[in-house]
Amino acid sequence: MIFDVSHQTTFAYAQSVSISHHLLHLSPRLYDHQVCSRHSLLIEPPPTIVKEATDYFGNPTTYLTIEEPHHELNIVARSTIEVKPPQYVAPERTPAWESIAGMLKRSTERELLDVYQFAFDSPFTQSGNGAAAYAEISFPPGRPVLEGAIDLMNRIHAEFKYEGGVTDVHTPIDTVLSERRGVCQDFAHLQISGLRSMGIPARYVSGYLQTVPPEGEERLVGADASHAWLSVWVPESGWVDLDPTNDVIPGEQHITVAWGRDYGDVSPVNGLVLGGGDHTVEVAVDVAEVAA
Amino acid sequence: MDGTMTSVPNDMTPDDPTDDPTDSPAGRLTAGYAHVAGIFDEMMDDGGAIRPHWQAFLDGLGTMSPAEIANGWENAERIIRENGTTYNVYLDSGDSAHPWRMDPIPALISADEWRHIEAGLIQRAKLLNAVVADLYGPQNLLTDGLLPPSLVFGNPNFLRALHGIGIPDNAWLNFIAVDLARAADNRWWVLSDRTQAPSGAGYTLENRVVMGRTLPQMFRDSQVQRLAGFFQALSDHLVAMTRSDDPVIVLMTPGPHNETYFEHAYLARYLGFPLVEGEDLTVRDNRVFLKTLNGLRQVDLIFRRVDSEFCDPLELRTDSLLGVAGLVAAARAGNVIVTNALGSGLVECDALMSFLPGLCENLFGEEQLLPSAATWWCGQDRERDYVLENLDHLVIRPTFSSRTILSDGKDVVVPAQLSPGERDRLVDRINRRGYDFIGQEILPLSTTPSWQDGALHPSPMALRAYICADGDGYRVLPGGLTRTADRIDAHAISMQQGDASKDTWVLWDEPVSTFSRLAAPDHVLALRRSGSNMPSRVADNLFWLGRYAERMENTARLMRSLVLRLAGEAGAGDDPQTLQRLMTILVDLGYVRQRAARRAVAAGIRAVEREVTNLIFDHRSTTGLLSLMGDLQRTAALVRDRLSGDAWRLLNNLHGVTERHATGQTLDVDDALALLNAMVEELAAFSGMQMENMTRSTGWRLLDIGRRIERAGHMAKLVRELAVEGEPETEGGLDLLLELGDSTMTYRTRYLSAAQLPATLDLLVTDETNPRSIAFQAAVLRDHIAALPRDAELASLTRQEHLVEAIASALKLADIYDLCAARTKRGKRARLDGFLNDIQDQCIELSDTLARTYFSHAMTVRSGGVSGGGVQ
Repeated sequence: MIFDVSHQTTFAYAQSVSISHHLLHLSPRLYDHQVCSRHSLLIEPPPTIVKEATDYFGNPTTYLTIEEPHHELNIVARSTIEVKPPQYVAPERTPAWESIAGMLKRSTERELLDVYQFAFDSPFTQSGNGAAAYAEISFPPGRPVLEGAIDLMNRIHAEFKYEGGVTDVHTPIDTVLSERRGVCQDFAHLQISGLRSMGIPARYVSGYLQTVPPEGEERLVGADASHAWLSVWVPESGWVDLDPTNDVIPGEQHITVAWGRDYGDVSPVNGLVLGGGDHTVEVAVDVAEVAA
Repeated sequence: MDGTMTSVPNDMTPDDPTDDPTDSPAGRLTAGYAHVAGIFDEMMDDGGAIRPHWQAFLDGLGTMSPAEIANGWENAERIIRENGTTYNVYLDSGDSAHPWRMDPIPALISADEWRHIEAGLIQRAKLLNAVVADLYGPQNLLTDGLLPPSLVFGNPNFLRALHGIGIPDNAWLNFIAVDLARAADNRWWVLSDRTQAPSGAGYTLENRVVMGRTLPQMFRDSQVQRLAGFFQALSDHLVAMTRSDDPVIVLMTPGPHNETYFEHAYLARYLGFPLVEGEDLTVRDNRVFLKTLNGLRQVDLIFRRVDSEFCDPLELRTDSLLGVAGLVAAARAGNVIVTNALGSGLVECDALMSFLPGLCENLFGEEQLLPSAATWWCGQDRERDYVLENLDHLVIRPTFSSRTILSDGKDVVVPAQLSPGERDRLVDRINRRGYDFIGQEILPLSTTPSWQDGALHPSPMALRAYICADGDGYRVLPGGLTRTADRIDAHAISMQQGDASKDTWVLWDEPVSTFSRLAAPDHVLALRRSGSNMPSRVADNLFWLGRYAERMENTARLMRSLVLRLAGEAGAGDDPQTLQRLMTILVDLGYVRQRAARRAVAAGIRAVEREVTNLIFDHRSTTGLLSLMGDLQRTAALVRDRLSGDAWRLLNNLHGVTERHATGQTLDVDDALALLNAMVEELAAFSGMQMENMTRSTGWRLLDIGRRIERAGHMAKLVRELAVEGEPETEGGLDLLLELGDSTMTYRTRYLSAAQLPATLDLLVTDETNPRSIAFQAAVLRDHIAALPRDAELASLTRQEHLVEAIASALKLADIYDLCAARTKRGKRARLDGFLNDIQDQCIELSDTLARTYFSHAMTVRSGGVSGGGVQ
């Protein structure tokens, strides 16, 4: 499927900002399942410096510095992206989850090292024993890894309430666990943390979800906003996406922008300004399907 | 050993014919030394004999009487107190600065032993540098299977943003520390490596300065390796790294709340680099600039004492308030050098130590010279099993702790001390997440003599050694920071728990270079390049230091005059009018609230006295002297790298003066006067030092501008208070005014008569020759402001120039007789009042204008952390 995505972020400052620095993860990354035919970034006021780069995880990034005084900053990212259907992996035929930790620990191959780095705690996925204890239930001995991961996703979806405004990016996983509510980011972090505690590599995916609900079907949560889910690593098959917020294995409706260890690695707009006083932020995301 | 025996005086011959060891000077000192069996002692061998390299020192020390030694010890403590050497411990309340504890007996290391340590440390520094360079680059150590990947990927100090950054010449580590201890087998072992931003070198220098003065003769006679050459080499190396002839190098500190801020300031001063905080720096055009009084100056190298992850809120920890947004990008672009390179904390993980021998063999084909404390990393099956089988003989620590085993006992679990339940939980956690844990051998530390209760006692010790890059290689500081524990069983030594430190003497067998950067340890710090590198924040603080010092002096003088009027011969007694008058002054000058004053006057002299007493002694009084003292101390602490040692000592004395007087409920006149006189004297000394000892740099001007503005405003306020209404000539107002303006004597010698209003006002307001007059302040301010950096293109007067001209010319043109004569029907001298009111207002505006022009550094505010809309 092909989509036109627009992602607009507007900062309004009470006082003049004399200098601002921002680091953006707004350009969708290209990989096997995704082709981006058009991408533009409109920034107002025009930045003094714009620098495109690729981060450690291979995501495209943009640095911008605005050195002239401004009261408002407007960033609009527009992309046309083709999402290809993912390969189906039969969960019951994936290897037992226990085999993964041992296999990765001894590996020295570059490719496996790249996978292995997602098996460790990262700043936003730290938890006491909570996430581990929660995840353990889905992984009885010998269970195929993807089966366990899907079960974990099912449980998070069933047992946690989607509720905006009660958590923020810094809410610890253990709080989400005890409150049993949160948003997509929290659910992704929780499942990532749980999988990693079992020695299974998992990464955080930042992106969008198609906005128009197919006729006759329930509208998916996550419309008109950026979205987050995760990927779990399955030997031989590679990375498989899971969306605990919507309890689905993402198909062509999930558009990937970037992936990393957690939210902190791929935050869409991270910035620092000098001056400014109080500020407000508005974000508007629009995902529209384009006739092929 | 090394020829230092010649220092033993002839009348104390060591080879006493009776051959009784306790009869020699050294023998008497060590007779009762309770050396612990099974533990290596630095001074005494198992048989009780003195080790050769201690002999001369002990003989020398033995010739000193216990009183002399005690004297030296007191001297050391006094120097530490006066220099304000502190180590901040984070506490929830109260004063967090604790004086540095130092022991007067140095730790001695012989030349041969040192050569061995030195070679081992240089090899280690090279190795650690090679490891960190590889892990942030090709990661061959991982693909070759030489290092387990989880030590890197699971390590919170592996900062992904820095991977592939490319450091010129792979010079990642330029200044590191290594903690060493000697085990019972006589060998030195490494306890931990500090590669992030090692602390303690400043304390090492300070200990040396103190020792040099405590036992000067012994220091001179002992052929001790000097420290200065090392720091010169470090400084030279940093300059060379910039490839610039005149680089701007800054020392970046997290700020005064950091536990080792003292030494940041100390090192900055010693090395001659400006001390900056994150907010002093800004990134423009991918380059780092220092915000100075003269505008932005590009920074070539940042010698950081801020942990890497806090250095850039844009790419590293986004919640950091200590960093500089865009620093990583600037470093990546090669526009600034940060050292140790960002990310260097990666290799200060203890679990790495067990892999170093293999890495050394593999990378250099060399055997590792200095062994590391036995460490088992539970990320490996065999090691984990060993740890679980030997739990009772080990300590368990988190693999990725930022602390060392010497830190403070936190992050150290002693399984032998756990309850069965706790123990089971620990075992379970080790089984689940082995890579998070290490087991370490409990190393019995060697002991070295410390001075306690007039005698030598063995104390467990560890040595922190320092290594800096020097050209292509590394160089070791000959000596280091020896830390000792009070308890003999201590196997972890902590600075935070208040254990002591001592100087470390490497006794050389060849002549030592006596080159010293500390030739004039108390030299008043001038700005290296005439203030052009002065951060705006420092300028701001110097300005306020001047204001607070003056404000405190004014307040002390006022209190002194009031106390004299309340008590003694000229005492107010119970005369309600006088009491009312005194309280009105306190209310009008903003010291006491109207309601409290009314209540006090109604209640009589005791209540009024209590109000005054509170202002003098009670630290809870927000307008009182002690609260001002706090403001002054805090501001001084913020610029202590800019203050001379003498100036700092004076401020510390001032603090001491106030500490000695407890809060009392009743006014003890003698006590109050003693305190106030002492305060006025210390403050006068501080201002005298400012006038006589500080170079006329921009910093000095700002300090003085602060003082002058405060003084001019205060004098205008006093005159309005005491001379505008009523008949000050007969009601005592003029006498008080002259007293507060420190001009009583001048008036008497000039006029030889009782005070008259016009003559008094001339002296205190318009007389440019009286250093207390407003006109004098205006003239000085005009000179200062003309000398401040200004935009050369600007044709017209700046606002601050305009204001100071306005004040000065108004004073010049003022007709005092006229101002005094004009009175309203009620007798108020309204024109005098208006005239002084204008001056007060202009002083306030001048202060604000200067702040806007020179000090403004808008707060950094975060706008980020936005992940999108509702579904985040």
